Amino acid sequence: MPSSVATLLVLVPLLPLAGAIATVVLGRRLGPRAHLPAVAGIAGAAAVALLLLLGLGRETGDGHGPPRPVEMTTTLWEWAGIDAASAGGTAQVTAAVTPDGAASPQRRFSIPVTLRLDPLTATLLVVITSIGLLVAVYSIGYMHDDPGYPRFFALVAAFVFSMSMLVAASNFLLVYVFWEAVGACSYLLIGFWFAKPEAARAAKKAFLVNRIGDFGLAVAVFLLWLTYGTLDFHDTFAPDGTLVTAGILGQERLGDAAGIVGGAVGTAICLLLLLAACGKSAQLPLHVWLPDAMEGPTPASALIHAATMVTAGIYLVARCAPLFVASPGALALVSVVGTTTALFAALIGTMQNDLKRVLAYSTISQLGYMFASLGTGTLLGFTAAIFHLVTHACFKALLFLGAGSVMHAMGGVIDMRRFGGLRRVMPITAATFLVGSLALAGVAPFAGFFSKDEILASLHARGWPDAHHGPHHEQGHGAGAGHAFGPAAPNGATAATVAPVFRLVAASPGQEAAPSGLDALDSPGTFRLLFWMALVTAGLTAFYTFRAVFMTFTGPTRIPEAAAGHAHESPRVMTVPLVILAVASGLVGWWLFGTHTLASFLAATPSLAAPSVASTAVPPAFHLDLALQGTLAAALGIALAAVGHLGRRSDGPQMERFLGPLGTLFANRFYVDQLYAATVVRPLQFVAHVAAGFDRSVIDGAVDAVSGLPGAVGGVVRRLQSGLLQRYALAGMMGTLIIVLALAWQLR
Amino acid sequence: MTLLPLVHDGLLVGAILFALGLVGILARRNLIVMFLCAELMLQGIAVSLVAWSRQHGDWGGQMLVIFVLTVAACEAAIALVIVLQAFARTGRLDAAAWQSLRESNLPRVIDHGLPAPDTVAPRFPRLTPAGVLPEQDEDEVLHREHV
Repeated sequence: MPSSVATLLVLVPLLPLAGAIATVVLGRRLGPRAHLPAVAGIAGAAAVALLLLLGLGRETGDGHGPPRPVEMTTTLWEWAGIDAASAGGTAQVTAAVTPDGAASPQRRFSIPVTLRLDPLTATLLVVITSIGLLVAVYSIGYMHDDPGYPRFFALVAAFVFSMSMLVAASNFLLVYVFWEAVGACSYLLIGFWFAKPEAARAAKKAFLVNRIGDFGLAVAVFLLWLTYGTLDFHDTFAPDGTLVTAGILGQERLGDAAGIVGGAVGTAICLLLLLAACGKSAQLPLHVWLPDAMEGPTPASALIHAATMVTAGIYLVARCAPLFVASPGALALVSVVGTTTALFAALIGTMQNDLKRVLAYSTISQLGYMFASLGTGTLLGFTAAIFHLVTHACFKALLFLGAGSVMHAMGGVIDMRRFGGLRRVMPITAATFLVGSLALAGVAPFAGFFSKDEILASLHARGWPDAHHGPHHEQGHGAGAGHAFGPAAPNGATAATVAPVFRLVAASPGQEAAPSGLDALDSPGTFRLLFWMALVTAGLTAFYTFRAVFMTFTGPTRIPEAAAGHAHESPRVMTVPLVILAVASGLVGWWLFGTHTLASFLAATPSLAAPSVASTAVPPAFHLDLALQGTLAAALGIALAAVGHLGRRSDGPQMERFLGPLGTLFANRFYVDQLYAATVVRPLQFVAHVAAGFDRSVIDGAVDAVSGLPGAVGGVVRRLQSGLLQRYALAGMMGTLIIVLALAWQLR
Repeated sequence: MTLLPLVHDGLLVGAILFALGLVGILARRNLIVMFLCAELMLQGIAVSLVAWSRQHGDWGGQMLVIFVLTVAACEAAIALVIVLQAFARTGRLDAAAWQSLRESNLPRVIDHGLPAPDTVAPRFPRLTPAGVLPEQDEDEVLHREHV
């Protein structure tokens, strides 16, 4: 890697880290300017990330011809290295499968701190740092009066550092380390107002649920080491150019048909990675922490729980795309979990009255969409998921920051039933929030429309495999409606149908011809069901989003007492990020889709350029029929929301009346929290009580007994000392008598 | 020689004296009597030393007895001073009056079963005075020759 690029790449995590450390050291002394080091660090990182993205974009070319993988790595130092010969003799560092065929018994355990630059990393770095910058600037206004002002900025900068390192690390163990680091930053930010018991409880819950996912990731790392003998993504070469280690996602292994292990071990690894992603990205059944995480400050929610940390799971699955494609059962499960979560969360979101909770469930639902798209296993699916990640980051951060603006003006009240008609009070917030809602609902030409369209297209392609490569598709593509959006003529493999390619790729060495067990999920029937679920969810998304918009911003103006006196538009430092994000939500989708920049750019990522994934490429097209279906669902949702909540009806319990007992089920979040409390939390608390009792009575009792022994002995001996002269004399005489008797006994 | 029975008797006397002194010092509470018993123990040892000296024909034993007597005399002086001071402080010659060096959580030893003190002064019989007062020389009453 050229040293200038390496320097720039190292600067991206380094500048926020320096900002965080500077804030910790100087924060108290800087007073109201404590935000400067952190904001400067993140701004620098954002500029550098943008430079890297543009430079890499030039490198990957302009999309003509089959994409060739582009990656650059730079190794900073070796964090851990154990030579095989010195490993005590009994340690096994063997690899089961190596690309050169023979299992080499002497392999060195090495964890280099290597940063990588490829299209996926560059895209995510830009998203992380720019959203981070906007959130940090916004927080200058939002956290203005908070006594923990420097701590907040230190944490935000530390988070940007950890997340940047997570996406830039080129080694599974490093990813694990920074996976934990972002979890720790999330805990500290959710529990920012730690004196509030709900916040402390929510932070603990988030951390514990994340831990379950982290366990999955740890076991996956162990299995990866055992299977592949290395934990690096990239290939390591000796100075003379020979291959030393083939990375798990390196080009040497990916180019080899038998490089990625499938079968039971491969499926196990993928299921564990899915567990980790579910924990971090709040999918079923580990979604329970995200709504409670809204106890943290709203900018933290915008950064972490909307745009960045929760996308770490998406990143992991996208990065490990070749591994998942080799285990089609696990891949289909990803889609099933994602779509189910999307529908589930959307249903719950319709009944929420707290604006931030609506957005939290919306986040869970949209992350479910991304997983649904990832699980299709096609190049379209993977790129659509990342595209949706980018657009979702823009509009969800916008929505959260807008909710924060509302909360700031309403004096901390966020229950939508207590305020209304705020568009007269806060016009900029209302306008930007509307833009964000339109993007979320998937209304053209805002960002969400294009990304959601691509996701629906990828699900449709798996559900109806023949429909996309018959003559119908060619006509639809060549016709006028789609023409303006796609390139003039398709290149490459249009004739290759999707379904046979899947059969070819899915047949990994150890598998039988007839799919069984988990692999039975990987069928068009499943994806048809998932497609309809996704369509219904799109309608529900539009519904609950616009229900929130109408309840908050339309109708008669009502202001709660807590805000009396300072219900006004937010200061410029808060509204400018809102406007920037609104512009991005409007334009990003159009631009990235229209020029197909993102799809072809991402296709140059080694994981996605692997033949197993890249062979599923279809020419980019605008699917008018799907776009119409999506728009229809969105329009229906918005119309229903208007009927229920627009204008004068913006504060009433329409949803409760309409849905009745079903509504109670949704409002209580399907009783999942109660289920977990009964099955997991209470038994564990019982075990903890038993253990505490044992500790107090048995262990402490034993220690206290040992400590009490000298006292007891002393108490007995003490009675000899009575203060009476004659008793002392008697004691002395008795002692002498005993000695004389003993002597006499000896001498008899 | 048949000095052996003599040595035996001497040792026996010494042992009896010592034993009496030992029992006395442990059993009696009067400080002066305790001191007397201590002296008795010393004298018992002295007799035993004389007997052994007679047995072995070694004058050293009897010389040691002189030392023992000297030491006993010095010790007597000091011991009686201590007893006088103790009496001056508490007004009692009871060894059980001094218990303040006991352990703080032990109770003071109190005598039980003591006879109740007399609350009524003893009534002595009043005798009729009888006889004649002796004659006194007036001059001698005023100017006595000897005290």
